[in-house]
Amino acid sequence: MATLTQTLVQVRRKGLPRPGRLTYLTLTAIAFFSAFPLYYSAVVGSLDNSALGQVPPPFLPGGNLIGNIERVFTTVPFATALINSAIVATSITVSVMLLSTLAGFAFAKLRFRGRNGLYLAVVATMMVPTQLGIIPLYMLMADIGWIDTLYAVIAPNLVSAFGVFFMTQYLSAALPTELLEAGRVDGCTTFGLFWRVVLPLARPAAAVLGMLTFMNAWNDFFWPLVVLTPENPTVQVGLSAISSGYSVDYSFTLAATTVATIPLLVVAMLFGKQIIQGIMQGALKG
Amino acid sequence: MRGLIAPAVTALLLTSLAACGGQSGPTASKGPAEKTKIVIATFNDFGYQSLYQEYERLHPDIDVVERVAAAEEHHRRIATSLATGKGAADIEAIEEGWIGQFKAQPDKFANLLDLGAGQIKDRWPAWKWQTSISKDGKQLGLGTDVGGLAMCYRTDLFEKAGLPTDREEVSALWSTWDGYIETGRKFAAAKLPKTAFFDGPVVMYRAVLGQADVGLYNTDDTVVVETNPAVRAAFDKTIQAIDAGLSAKITAWSADWNAGFQRGSFATIACPSWMMAYIQEQAKNAAGKWDIAKIPGGTGNWGGSFLTVPKQGRNQQKAFELASWLTAPEQQAKVFRSKGNFPSTTKLYTDPVITQFKNPFFNDAPVGKIFSESVATMKAQYLGPKAGDINTAINNALGRVEQGKQSPTDAWNQALVEIKKIL
Amino acid sequence: MIRSWLYRADVKASPYAYVLPFFLLFAALGAFPILYTGWVSLHDWSLLEDQHTFLGLGNYAELLGDSYFWNALFNTVSILILSTVPQLLLALLLAHVLNGRLRGQTFWRVSMLLPNITSVVAVAIIFGQLFGRDYGVVNWFLGLFGVGQIDWAAGTATSHIAIATMVIWRWTGYNALIYLAAMQAVPQSLHEAAIIDGATSLQRLMKITIPAIRPTIIFTVIVSTIGGMQMLAEPLLFGGGQPTGGNDHQFQTLTLYLFEAGFGRFDFGYASATAWLMFVVIVMAAGINYLFVRRIRSS
Repeated sequence: MATLTQTLVQVRRKGLPRPGRLTYLTLTAIAFFSAFPLYYSAVVGSLDNSALGQVPPPFLPGGNLIGNIERVFTTVPFATALINSAIVATSITVSVMLLSTLAGFAFAKLRFRGRNGLYLAVVATMMVPTQLGIIPLYMLMADIGWIDTLYAVIAPNLVSAFGVFFMTQYLSAALPTELLEAGRVDGCTTFGLFWRVVLPLARPAAAVLGMLTFMNAWNDFFWPLVVLTPENPTVQVGLSAISSGYSVDYSFTLAATTVATIPLLVVAMLFGKQIIQGIMQGALKG
Repeated sequence: MRGLIAPAVTALLLTSLAACGGQSGPTASKGPAEKTKIVIATFNDFGYQSLYQEYERLHPDIDVVERVAAAEEHHRRIATSLATGKGAADIEAIEEGWIGQFKAQPDKFANLLDLGAGQIKDRWPAWKWQTSISKDGKQLGLGTDVGGLAMCYRTDLFEKAGLPTDREEVSALWSTWDGYIETGRKFAAAKLPKTAFFDGPVVMYRAVLGQADVGLYNTDDTVVVETNPAVRAAFDKTIQAIDAGLSAKITAWSADWNAGFQRGSFATIACPSWMMAYIQEQAKNAAGKWDIAKIPGGTGNWGGSFLTVPKQGRNQQKAFELASWLTAPEQQAKVFRSKGNFPSTTKLYTDPVITQFKNPFFNDAPVGKIFSESVATMKAQYLGPKAGDINTAINNALGRVEQGKQSPTDAWNQALVEIKKIL
Repeated sequence: MIRSWLYRADVKASPYAYVLPFFLLFAALGAFPILYTGWVSLHDWSLLEDQHTFLGLGNYAELLGDSYFWNALFNTVSILILSTVPQLLLALLLAHVLNGRLRGQTFWRVSMLLPNITSVVAVAIIFGQLFGRDYGVVNWFLGLFGVGQIDWAAGTATSHIAIATMVIWRWTGYNALIYLAAMQAVPQSLHEAAIIDGATSLQRLMKITIPAIRPTIIFTVIVSTIGGMQMLAEPLLFGGGQPTGGNDHQFQTLTLYLFEAGFGRFDFGYASATAWLMFVVIVMAAGINYLFVRRIRSS
């Protein structure tokens, strides 16, 4: 069975033609547009507020970035916020990746009574607008006594219908049924199949899911703003306190958002590597 | 193997429950003398930090903790915690724009008269005091700051248009709104490129309406938009200014608005005291170009807040004492000096702290004097529960007229329909 | 004997163990808010009052008779179409290119994701400036071609285009990565065989990749439909935080409409009814789109 996965992998990539210059040019253009607001945030964050009103807008950074960042850390407990967000986003990401892969495998490849109905239920839960959920959820959290704690932010996000839906759809195409049958013949239990066949194959999708989940958890602000207080904030709660005020200092705000984005960039790079290396490494282990 | 997952999940949940039970337990008793923790929730920048320390020195048994958030979130959180009965701070700051909404549920707040507010009533001008009285006569809040209205104008543009630039002379041009529009016509006649007389209708409409005795509501919480001529008059006066071609048609708080302060897209804007800081922030390079004159009609206010004590709190008396101390003239003067939040207590309006205060960015205009005059003699106008939404509907109507989408009559009628929906 | 019994138990019962954690956690924390909202939607339920009168379907009847609800529905669908179609097509092309033998793979992938990483606060400030009427970069650029100053927020079409641009910018890379993950599982041998047969890159995308990743395409279409129907951040930010969506409600989406009722007027009952009606609309929209993409031929 391991050999099967391996042959599947070894043929990858070698025989494709290399793309031409035009492709790189297009990609560069897209990358430029994608990166521009982030870069521009850093530029304005390194200048002062009047930078935004200038025509043509300034494209080169100034010398205020460090000063603005220092101000961010003294105005709100931003170090605490960064740690809190890391805890929240990591817990949610690990849980969502694991539980979604489990359920995705079952929905995609196992037969059981009520499967279609349950699957439909998963997809349907995504269709209810969630904004209003904050009132009943707040009542629930208040009853448990989780208001002002990170549990209140983590717990409701431990599972994601999006994740289950995603992994199911991915595995239903990516996981050859023959591979599972071969595994059964080899005497694998269902969990054995999951561990040896599904997990290695699921890696690229799980990495994408992990990356997207981490980003969402990191950038979520609507619910955290309601349950957390600024003494014990996540990054977005801290940002909200910074960007408020009768008089908004955009330069200061953008410096703060730049700092808040750096951890995400690091995470994106880590996961980005996983997506490429995913199948190969997994196959070696299997 | 398969059996492992559910127990694992349960265990996870249980440990987190257990871990949390420890955290949320009572943390009151620290040391021999038991301290009372008073939580105060504010938004934006009340400038209270150093005052808390001072208060804790004066009252060693009190421990003050502040929560700060952006205005929208702060008020949404109050609504949530009042509705669910949990999570409110001991003192909740409420902005003028929201006070009407929260006054509609007076039972959720302590009546400050019961806690001794009657004795400090004279600190504030009558209108400020009355703004936080509920329909059933309960005093819900103590005033913090106010946002007196004046008219900010560009001296450089006035000069180019051949208008006087001295603030006394300029104030004399527009003792009434008709005078303001008339001045605008003269300004427009000079045909300065890319420059209009005022930014957009929102602030003007609000300023005109604010000068009426009765606004959107009667004191019994009935909406009188349709029957109160003052509302229609404020609408029409603003339309008149738009029709004269004086508006730059810029949405407030947009990027164009921010840039406009710097680049001179508009020559005047009705500005509340807190907007000074905003203009300074947006238009650093325009120092000395802006000046401040009196508002047409003489009085006006936009903004300012109150400290309230929700009934959920366990230490209402102590919370009130802190709120009372924070809003006392001495403390308001300190906040004004450090943050510029304009005080709401009458006593300070004759105090040199205010009367001598000048702002160098605005050509050394005596802003303390100008702004205190606009609020000291203001009349009280009752603010009902949905004043904010009603104003939004009327602002939108003005916007539609300004953009040529509708005639004033159609826009007004549509606003009336929308207002009926709101109620 | 025991072995075969164990085997049968494993095959029959274990699937439930895999989906159980999801449903347990969902039941504990996700189901209550949804059901509670349903209960609230049957009441005249203001967050500012303690008395909640039972209305039955009154809120729903009022909703169906409200022209602003239909207006919001129109705006939502319009922005949805303007944004989702180009966004998914672009994402598919992008993923196809990224799936090739590129130098600097990680670099390109991460850069595609940057729009989604960028803080919403920063996006609001910067797009607000880009689409400014007087000093916006977009108008400045169009001005080079002789196009007059466009007041993007004022018109229905222009505001929809501006918001759709924001959506496309933010979510194309996100969908491209999802496609890319699925494309990684398409056996390379298929592509190689096609190349030997002389197929162009585009032909391989159409004939091999798209049929092979069909389930993921269905996934993105449904998720984008749901996301688009629930669009909140972009139009809210575009309107400067005002839930009315422009002075003539010209870009008020359904979620903004809900938001205005729930958190502007604190009319929780009406907002809850809106949420449930939206649910019905979204089910229909997702269903229609599902029938549409199901016609992609399977490999």
